[in-house]
Amino acid sequence: MEGLTRTWLLLVALTAATTTLAFFDGRVAAALLLVLAFLKARAILSGFLHLKRATGWIFVATVPLGIWLTVLFGLYAI
Amino acid sequence: MRIEDLPGELLMWVLIASEVLVFAAGITAMASVRLTDPEGFAAAQAMLDGRMAALNTVVLVTSGLFAARAERAAAHQERRAARLFLGLAALGGVLFLVVKGMEYAADMEAGIGIETHPFYTFYFLITGFHAAHVLAGIVLLGIVGLRARAEAVQAGAAFWHMVDLVWVLILPPIYLLA
Repeated sequence: MEGLTRTWLLLVALTAATTTLAFFDGRVAAALLLVLAFLKARAILSGFLHLKRATGWIFVATVPLGIWLTVLFGLYAI
Repeated sequence: MRIEDLPGELLMWVLIASEVLVFAAGITAMASVRLTDPEGFAAAQAMLDGRMAALNTVVLVTSGLFAARAERAAAHQERRAARLFLGLAALGGVLFLVVKGMEYAADMEAGIGIETHPFYTFYFLITGFHAAHVLAGIVLLGIVGLRARAEAVQAGAAFWHMVDLVWVLILPPIYLLA
């Protein structure tokens, strides 16, 4: 299976997981929803925007994203 | 790691980073204001139809696949295929806006307006701003499809993926995190 189709299937699977998880409440579900958002963003950056081919840049793009999502979780967990 | 390693135009990456930062600021502001009235925000959010948002996510990531295929076809000088995929990606954008419009119509029918509650102010501003980007993306895909040159199609596709990227990030705080 070629890379673009794999990225799309991963995104659809992560969206399905997000929809399933939306039925649950609580901090664990919230944390998992944000993890799924992070994984979707990473898949787009890496697969569709080709950062997997740019050495080191996927790290530069995803670390601030991960920090922001962690802050967001903190604001919702308070 | 060098700047030259980045795929496509550097300016497009500056735009992508700027747009993500703007939406992140909006979402962070919403999450901060929510602290003053968590119950009110949760009640307001519960009125939204998350199924429409889930459907729109699938629509947008599928159109993202078409945009990526258009980029690949243009890189191989297959202009006809590139135009076809750009058209399909733009069609996905139109479908996204139709679903969004139906969602807004249902919200307004339920008596929800931009001033009903602070949550809805953020909801309409952030999702409306995103919808404006989808509209701009559709126009951009049409423009780059005219000549279907590799560099232009890559820039158009990158903008489209940015729209996709922003959507997957704003989805949980707006629709799901209560």
